[in-house]
Amino acid sequence: MQGSKSARTVNLQGPLTIDKAAGIKASLAEALAAASVVIVDISSAEDMDLACLQALYAARAEAKAGGKQLHLEGTIPLRVAQRLSACGFLRGMPERAEEFEASLVGF
Amino acid sequence: MLDQFKATFKEESFELLATLENTFLELESQPLNGELINAAFRAIHTIKGSAAMFGFDSVSRFAHEFETALDLCRNGTLSVTKDFIGLALKGRDHIRRLLDFDEPVPAEVQGESGPLLDRFRGFSKKAAPQEGGAAPEPEQAPAKAEPAARGTFRIEFKPSKDISRDGTKVLSLVEELARLGQADVFPHTEGIPRLSELDPEACYCWWDVLLTGEIDENAIRDVFIFVGDQAELRIEQVGEGGDGSAGASTKRLGDILVERGSATPETIQEALKTQRKLGEVLVERHIVSKQEIESALVEQEHLKKIQEKSEAIVGSIRVASDKLDALVDLVGELVTLQARLSRTSFELRDAQLSSISEQFERLIAQLRDNTMSIRMLPIGSTFNKFRRVVRDLSLELGKECELVTEGAETELDKTVIEKLGDPLVHIIRNSIDHGIEKPEGREAAGKPRTGTIKLSALHSGAYVLIRVSDDGKGLDREAIREKAIQRGLISPNQELSEQEILQLIFEPGFSTAKVVTTVSGRGVGMDVVKREIDSLGGNVQIDSAPGQGMTVTLKIPLTLAIIEGLLVRIGREFFVVPLSSVDGIIEIPKADIASMGERRIISYRDEFVPYVALRGFFGTEEDDASEEPEIEQMVIASAQDSRVGFVVDQVIGDNQTVIKPLGRLYRDVEGISGATILGDGTVALILDINRLSLLVQREGANRAAGAA
Repeated sequence: MQGSKSARTVNLQGPLTIDKAAGIKASLAEALAAASVVIVDISSAEDMDLACLQALYAARAEAKAGGKQLHLEGTIPLRVAQRLSACGFLRGMPERAEEFEASLVGF
Repeated sequence: MLDQFKATFKEESFELLATLENTFLELESQPLNGELINAAFRAIHTIKGSAAMFGFDSVSRFAHEFETALDLCRNGTLSVTKDFIGLALKGRDHIRRLLDFDEPVPAEVQGESGPLLDRFRGFSKKAAPQEGGAAPEPEQAPAKAEPAARGTFRIEFKPSKDISRDGTKVLSLVEELARLGQADVFPHTEGIPRLSELDPEACYCWWDVLLTGEIDENAIRDVFIFVGDQAELRIEQVGEGGDGSAGASTKRLGDILVERGSATPETIQEALKTQRKLGEVLVERHIVSKQEIESALVEQEHLKKIQEKSEAIVGSIRVASDKLDALVDLVGELVTLQARLSRTSFELRDAQLSSISEQFERLIAQLRDNTMSIRMLPIGSTFNKFRRVVRDLSLELGKECELVTEGAETELDKTVIEKLGDPLVHIIRNSIDHGIEKPEGREAAGKPRTGTIKLSALHSGAYVLIRVSDDGKGLDREAIREKAIQRGLISPNQELSEQEILQLIFEPGFSTAKVVTTVSGRGVGMDVVKREIDSLGGNVQIDSAPGQGMTVTLKIPLTLAIIEGLLVRIGREFFVVPLSSVDGIIEIPKADIASMGERRIISYRDEFVPYVALRGFFGTEEDDASEEPEIEQMVIASAQDSRVGFVVDQVIGDNQTVIKPLGRLYRDVEGISGATILGDGTVALILDINRLSLLVQREGANRAAGAA
């Protein structure tokens, strides 16, 4: 479990709002501590607010700093893409996680 | 150079004032419409600013008080009353008058400013007694937030760290902001720490938003109304989106960074010396962050997009009308030359030449149509000024009238439109003065209190029909007849058709008004209408239903520059009959004509048509008597409601007629409206069919009277 090559997946479901942010932070921190590659699946997320988005950014920064990787996976829910696009985080409304990741500003 | 700018300033101010008049008139019916108040304020604000820039001090000073009052209307302190609209319209007229002069404006005109200004100040004071009656600070108004013009704003939204804690949804705010217009949103995420340092409920991001739309600063602030001190908000206008004058496309990255305060002009200059990409150098030197550069690039892109878009929307340029006239002249020359080319190629019977000539002909026709269409303007631009006429006049006469327009988009040659203004004013005045009854009278007659004047325009072949109809009392035929007899315009026992009686109101010196008002009743007006419309090659028709109103229909040719004509020959002279008035062509043996003697009437399609031999009319008879053909041709033309025949030697065919005005010497020649140059260089005269048929009918009437 604690092997440095192992990958861990974190599933984020439901509306990802500020009241979940602390929990999300904890699970991301736990995963990053446990594995060198962390996959975050947000395909079942119903919405995402700034606090949770910031948690993703922060986890990504943490991973980079520790020489680890954090990636997104799964289909990006339309509502999430719409909101992030309207707020300038995204260019366009990518459906696939890789594109989403690549076009996320400053990610 | 400055003169040129001044001329442009005046031209643009005239346009603004024209729109302004309309805005005020609309405001009168919808006094609470904030958009209209804003539009009025903006127009005056613009005039004030540019007037000061070009040294029109009296305009600028006058506009200032005007603007102050409008500003009070804008923020709701001063309500838009009928009185205020009245004053505003007078103020508008005064600015228009001031603009007729260069500085210094003559004292007597200047003197009119005072009383109006006092009234404006009176309104302003009444509205704002809390200011202790002191005149508002001169520079206050322009410093205020711009009203809702189309503008581009740079908004920096920096939420505090704790903003989300009390439930504020930051992303929703940004979304709402972006919905205000065309937005480019750039989030700054560089503040987000590593996960271990993250406070999950804190806000680390901030935004740069570029927003273009019909918005003002207040609309932007409204989005953040509940945020209070939980965010820093900086709003700056960076360009006017609508007119593309902001020079947005030329805005360089360096300028944007300096404007935003991200870098000083010196550091930019310094960085530019390296001859490398500015952004890279600045980031390398840690002068600005990478994100700031990206955000600035987003702004540059946004401005460029807006610029392109506004260019696409506007897509038009302003051209001096004399250049356009010169172009039409040249096209006219080309049409003439082309006629010569096709004639020559026809005579030479050269296949190659005729094929070139045919192609040339097609091209010229397209060029002609295109050029003509450039001169076409929607008639709606003149319609607007009539609203004012109706308003002022009905107020003055104590009547209630409403102007309804239809077909404002109908296009007509620029010159024609310009000449139509006065005649239409006269007709409308006549309708209000003589047609529409007083409100009480209307109610008694079972009509709505407010009379309706309908102004409509529509295309009909090579003509435009312009109708002015009212629902007033209509024309009193007997009164017209009596008056005409009294004035000696007709003899008491003269038989006149209904149309002929109605047409009498266009005779010079005719007026049936029992009381002379300042408006009409002095017999000037309607004859001017007739004269102007005649000079445009059009005609006037009147229909009237007693008690239900009257309709004046103006039939105006689409253009005055090039028409389709029918070329005819009389002796060695050529004449052109406008094709649009040609009804038919018949042949008559000379003997038949001779046998008719003095009667000069033939039967055409079961109708008796008076005719005139142009050979005799224009006095070409004596010279060419020998050449008179055995069978003559007669062109039947229709003018007004009747037909008239013109006997000519030969009908040659259709002709693209470029109308040239006649010189002063020929001004009084009756029956000729202009001249044109034919393919072989000879000059042909254009017949004035309306005038000629009138002469023929008069002659017929006189002869009949003489015989009786």
